[in-house]
Amino acid sequence: MSRQILSMRKIDKRFTGVHALRQVDFDLDEGEIHALVGENGAGKSTLMKVLIGIVPRDTGEIRYLDHQFNPRNPKHALEMGIGIIHQELNMMDHLTVAQNIFIGRESTQLGGMLLDKRGQTKRAEELFKRLNMNIDPGESLGRLTVGKQQMVEIAKAVSHSLRILILDEPTAALTDVEIDELFAIMRDLASKGVGMIHISHRLDEIHRIADRVTVLRDGERVDTKKTAEVTKQQIINMMVGRVIYEQPKTKATVAPDAPVVLRVNKLNAGKLVRDVSFTLRKGEILGIAGLMGSGRTETARAIFGADEIQSGSIEIRGRRIAIRSPEDAVANGIGYLSEDRKRYGLAVNLSVRDNLALATYDRFQLGILIQARKVRQVTGDYVQRLNIRTPSLDQLLRNLSGGNQQKVVIAKWLIRNCDILIFDEPTRGIDVGAKSEIYTLMNELTREGKSIIMISSELPEILRMSDRIIVMCEGRLTGELNIEEASQEAIMEFATMGHQQVLTRS
Amino acid sequence: MADMSLETGRMQRFRERGLKWVLAPGALVILYLFFGIFGRNYFSYPTLVNIIDAAYYIGFISIGVTFVIISGGIDLSIGTVMMCSAIIGGTALKHGFPMVPSLLLIIVVGLAFGFLNGVLVSRLKMPPFIVTLGTMMISMGVGSIVSNVQSATFPIRGTAGGWFKDIFLYLGSNGGGAIPTGALLLAFVAVLCHLLLSNTKLGRYTYAIGSNIEAARLSGVDVKKWQLLVYVIAGGTAGIGGISYAAIYTTVLPAQGQGFELYAIAAAVIGGTSLAGGIGTIWGTIIGVFIMSVLATGLPALNLEAHYQTFFTGLIVIGAVLLDMYRNKKAAEVRIETPADAYKASMLEKIAALKQEAAVRAAAGDAQQSAKIREQLSAAHAELKTTFARMRTEEKAEKARIRAEEKAADHEFAEMVKRHELAQQDKTERHV
Repeated sequence: MSRQILSMRKIDKRFTGVHALRQVDFDLDEGEIHALVGENGAGKSTLMKVLIGIVPRDTGEIRYLDHQFNPRNPKHALEMGIGIIHQELNMMDHLTVAQNIFIGRESTQLGGMLLDKRGQTKRAEELFKRLNMNIDPGESLGRLTVGKQQMVEIAKAVSHSLRILILDEPTAALTDVEIDELFAIMRDLASKGVGMIHISHRLDEIHRIADRVTVLRDGERVDTKKTAEVTKQQIINMMVGRVIYEQPKTKATVAPDAPVVLRVNKLNAGKLVRDVSFTLRKGEILGIAGLMGSGRTETARAIFGADEIQSGSIEIRGRRIAIRSPEDAVANGIGYLSEDRKRYGLAVNLSVRDNLALATYDRFQLGILIQARKVRQVTGDYVQRLNIRTPSLDQLLRNLSGGNQQKVVIAKWLIRNCDILIFDEPTRGIDVGAKSEIYTLMNELTREGKSIIMISSELPEILRMSDRIIVMCEGRLTGELNIEEASQEAIMEFATMGHQQVLTRS
Repeated sequence: MADMSLETGRMQRFRERGLKWVLAPGALVILYLFFGIFGRNYFSYPTLVNIIDAAYYIGFISIGVTFVIISGGIDLSIGTVMMCSAIIGGTALKHGFPMVPSLLLIIVVGLAFGFLNGVLVSRLKMPPFIVTLGTMMISMGVGSIVSNVQSATFPIRGTAGGWFKDIFLYLGSNGGGAIPTGALLLAFVAVLCHLLLSNTKLGRYTYAIGSNIEAARLSGVDVKKWQLLVYVIAGGTAGIGGISYAAIYTTVLPAQGQGFELYAIAAAVIGGTSLAGGIGTIWGTIIGVFIMSVLATGLPALNLEAHYQTFFTGLIVIGAVLLDMYRNKKAAEVRIETPADAYKASMLEKIAALKQEAAVRAAAGDAQQSAKIREQLSAAHAELKTTFARMRTEEKAEKARIRAEEKAADHEFAEMVKRHELAQQDKTERHV
């Protein structure tokens, strides 16, 4: 039985608008690999930020090596032996591997006057040897593959004589071979007594590498289990709870002869939209599935006029239209809900009312003056209708929770009376309750005759909401499925179909 | 919190907006009173006229620059454009142009430079800082070239065309009883611009563009058009500023105006406009202008040379921004309710109930009962005050104690890790 080195008790943290952590407990043993899983916004990264002192906890206790521990900042945590490897690598491409590892604590000679490059390289070599990594310390970092860069980052962390290493989605950008290498190194570190917290979205990995798994949901710890004692399905169930992924839709709710409201023909735009053609019917939810970088978002942006269209045509209700800017798209009744709402959807420093009315001011004008009372009345109606929880219309948007912010974006397009809505990852980073509210809302909207294109990375979400699904891969459409014949496996097959395969198939 | 009650919502709204409405004007009044009490002859009508006189030209351009800053940009050219337009108008006058077209020319020159800035920023996507740095130098050069590096003198009072001075300062028929009519003009422009900002599409889009230009574009807003318009408005105010400068100082020298833009920006910042864009009001900017103007006229009254003005203005700019940041941080903070807060809330509830009862009794004519309740009320108030203070002190002491303990634990911990590390190193070295 190995010794417990970390114990976090009843950690609680509130941010404005969201209760990020609720009385969370978390333990780590010496030499243990402990997986931490949960959906976006479940509180994984906040918990880790509390542990390394980026975010102060409101209440709760951290005990580390049987002592009370109050991390002040990441540097302090690192000095105490707790290191983190972020999802995005934080290193300088133009420096050498050795320089990157020892930055801020370079080897020097002549009493600190000169850098001891050779000594530094030697130290790096020793480090790599100890970790069984095959990397040249003199190479500049930018020339290594992402996998190797990640290993350099691990080596850098380990060179601080760590007791705890946090890995935030370390495998997200790695190839299978690189993942194998990474896991070998992790096991090696574990055998040396380093405890590791492994944050991952890839549930398959957990059984391969982790000893225990803790599931967070909406800021609460659902459970901690030995990985040998749970199945992947059980972990998924814990992650999502009962509410959201009830049953996939089994039957399309839209009539097959409903009029076509949008027809996209041989659309080309940028690098990731190649000859994309599809139709959208009135009252339909069309799901667009595909892996990251398959061109889903780019297709949506091109239709909305956010990016330039190179060739192809777009017809709305049978009439061919030219879309050169978002203005044209909006004028034709298309609304776009971006996957990154803070960057592309909302002005967070403005009030709820300003955000709601932003797309519609020209309809509230009398002469050149805006009728404040009309704005207040209409936006107030929609706040009620969509159940947007805000103390007042004047509340600044940044003080609302993610789910309510998302509802504001949707309401913005409803107020503008858009009837073709493109929802790009509509439930990303919002909590479970708000998710199901947005699903209900989408179904209501299609019943009213609006048509929705929904882009999502979460297959269960696609399967639950869509009437029809199209799948993209490397900028091309690779498949179309009616909901009756769709399954996760079928979608994945189309989504991973390489470019060559597409060509030979067609 | 999402489901905050209406009451706290209003409180927060006050903290976020209302305070801004009170703080800057408060500072202005305090400054004015301060100079009035300690300065020589400060509380007088001529001084007041001076204050207002000194505010005009900076006032107009700072209104323009407020638009630009709210839209997320910056206009460094506005001061030199103002002087450039004034000297071009004066030169035209010298060459026999009539008065009214000359004044119109001043406005047109301002608008033209605004248009140039706007096109470069909105169509060619150049950074506003660079664009307006360039046009600042260009406008200074143009002024010198057109005037042939000679000063231009506008007509003085009593001569033909001298009437335009009356727009800004009406002296009456015999020179007594000056009326700063320019204040009315400034107020008119300010109100107009305030309406533009708060009640028209232009204004709402200006805020949206400054807050998140990409979100505005993706909401179907023609970002280029409105951005251009914002710079044109700034140019227009530079033109009006040029006229006011000519009216007050009569003679315009070439290659002037550098530094005015910084005063204009300072006024906007003192008034709560955020250089990050999306936040700001015309009202605040006007207060900022008058704070600087009061400083400019008040410091000499304290026998301090005028250049102290620059020094103090700098202090106020930094102070205003610090205060703003502190306020924003406070507003964003989430308070954890302590037992003391809970106690206070419950007592306040009790007091409110008592008050209501007292009112009911008084209305029923039961004087004896209501007096008794009022006694209870004051007792409750006193209790609340002492108990709350005691609880607060206890809580603070407890917090300090915990902090001290944590610090001690930290220290002990660091020592332990060091020992542990040494042992570990020992082990690995032996291992190797």
